[in-house]
Parts: sequence; structure tokens; C-alpha cells
Amino acid sequence: MQAQAFETDFWKDAASRKIWDDIVPGEPRETIPYTLTLEAIQKYCRSVGETHPLYFDEAYARASPYGGIIAPPSIHILLMFSCTPANDWMRSPGTVNAGQAWSYNLPARPGDTITLQARALDKFIKKERLFVIHDNVFFNQHGEVICSGRGWTIRPI
Amino acid sequence: MSVTFETLAPGYRIEGPSFDVSRESIRAFCEASLDFNPLHLDDDYMKGSFGKTNFGGIIMHGMNNFGLITRMLTDWAYPSNAIHRRLETRWVKPVKPGDTIRPHGVLKSKLATEKSRWVVIDVEVRNQSDEVVATGEALVEFPHRATSA
Repeated sequence: MQAQAFETDFWKDAASRKIWDDIVPGEPRETIPYTLTLEAIQKYCRSVGETHPLYFDEAYARASPYGGIIAPPSIHILLMFSCTPANDWMRSPGTVNAGQAWSYNLPARPGDTITLQARALDKFIKKERLFVIHDNVFFNQHGEVICSGRGWTIRPI
Repeated sequence: MSVTFETLAPGYRIEGPSFDVSRESIRAFCEASLDFNPLHLDDDYMKGSFGKTNFGGIIMHGMNNFGLITRMLTDWAYPSNAIHRRLETRWVKPVKPGDTIRPHGVLKSKLATEKSRWVVIDVEVRNQSDEVVATGEALVEFPHRATSA
């Protein structure tokens, strides 16, 4: 359902988004809970050519140490956008991702209600480019950490 | 093919899957990741410059590299009941429609801690011209006993 309501025109809310000057390191970003579906997991898998039966074959996954279908660790790529509102500065057109680092604790699973705690951790200027480091932790409905990560973005000028 | 912590040694190489990048693959990644940044969609927008950078056309999501490296690592780790624990990446060069990219990894070091065992893997993604488009480092855990976490 979330995917259907998702605003795909990233220009639409551009004026309401924080620019580099407005971003306060340490200030929490607004986030929204998201229910991860099997369909969303498998759509993501197909987009990067993932075919592992842990993501597609319930019988295989049930017999595995994971006990059921899981999402690949990199599902946070989807969760970053599904757990943030349309005016989040991560969507500002021209935002360039310079790199990310993620640590994985537990796999996300279909049906999980995922929440995100996120903030800008730092901002700086390097080689006349405007950088913001973002800091994120995704939790499941049991309050367990799924994964945590940081990203380096270059902000549009 | 499964491997064991004991037999792995620095220099061990992991080959990842080849991935053909197209406007369609980039669009599919937009739909699957919900990242509709015009960098990946809008040819007219991409004629402009970003500060000092001009990409000259739409570019693939950097996180598509990340997803491909993850696929390589998990496909390698699962049969050995190992767990992909960390991935750090930097994008070195933009990837464009028509490119073919492929990740690989080289085991850098291994270490046993009080409770578990770990291997550090240098990762890289190269394009069809053998240019490096992404670099990074991964950490894979080889627990003493297989667990689901």
C-alpha cells in the first residue's frame, strides 16, 4: 500500500525540503513505519538479479537456518525511501550518493513493520562540495535492530 | 560451494555476477528502491552540471553497485552458513546505460574473536573497460555454530 501512495516526482516537494544550510547535525529526521511485503522484497531482488531461494522459495527457506523467507541485507536501500516522508532531504533532486557503510544484525522478513531512527550526523565542505553524513538504524516490530548504516551525500548547490 | 574459516587464506578470490546496465534496469531499480532521483531518470536534467561535475546523461544508482556486491557476498556466504555482517563502499566512477559491471572480492585478512570468527574482504566493481567504478570492504562472520542471526 505504501508503494502505491509513494510520490515518485521528487521535484514536487522540493521547495519544502531542507537544503544544506538548514540541516542541523544531530537533529532527528522525521520517519514513518513501513510494512515490508514479500512483493516488495522480491521486486527489489529482481532489480539486482537476486535469485537465491531464501528470498523466493518458502519451503527451502523454512528448512534453512533462517526458518522462512528473508529479505537480502541490502533491502535497506528500499527501506530508506519507504520509511521517510516526501519532504525528506534525501530526496532532493541532484543529491549525489558518495558511498555508504552498513552493519547487519538480523534479516528483515516479509510482514515486518520496520521503523527508522535517522539523523544527519555531520556536515562539511570539501573541495567546494557540500557534504552531509546521514546516520540510520532500522528496527523490526520487536524493537530488534535489523541494520545500521551511514552514508556520505553531496548536496545540490 | 561451501568454504570453511580454517581453509580460507588472504588472496582468496570471490567472483561476482555480471550485470548489464540499461535504461530499463535503472528504471527497475527506481521502482524497486523508490529512489526516483532525476539523476537516474531525466535526460534533460542531466545535461546540466552539479557544481563541478557534469555526468552527460542519466547514471545508475550507486546503490545498485551496493546491491550487486551484496548479492555476491551472500551467495558466497550462505552455503557455508556464514553471515554477511558489513559492507562499506565508495563510488569511484559513474555507471551508465550500456555498461556491464561485475563485482569481485579478495580476502584481505581473517581474525578469531572471543566469540566468533571473521573475514575481511576487499571488494571492487569494474566495468566492461576494466575501470573500477566502486570500491569497498566487507566483513563476513563464520560463527562456530550455524545460527540464523
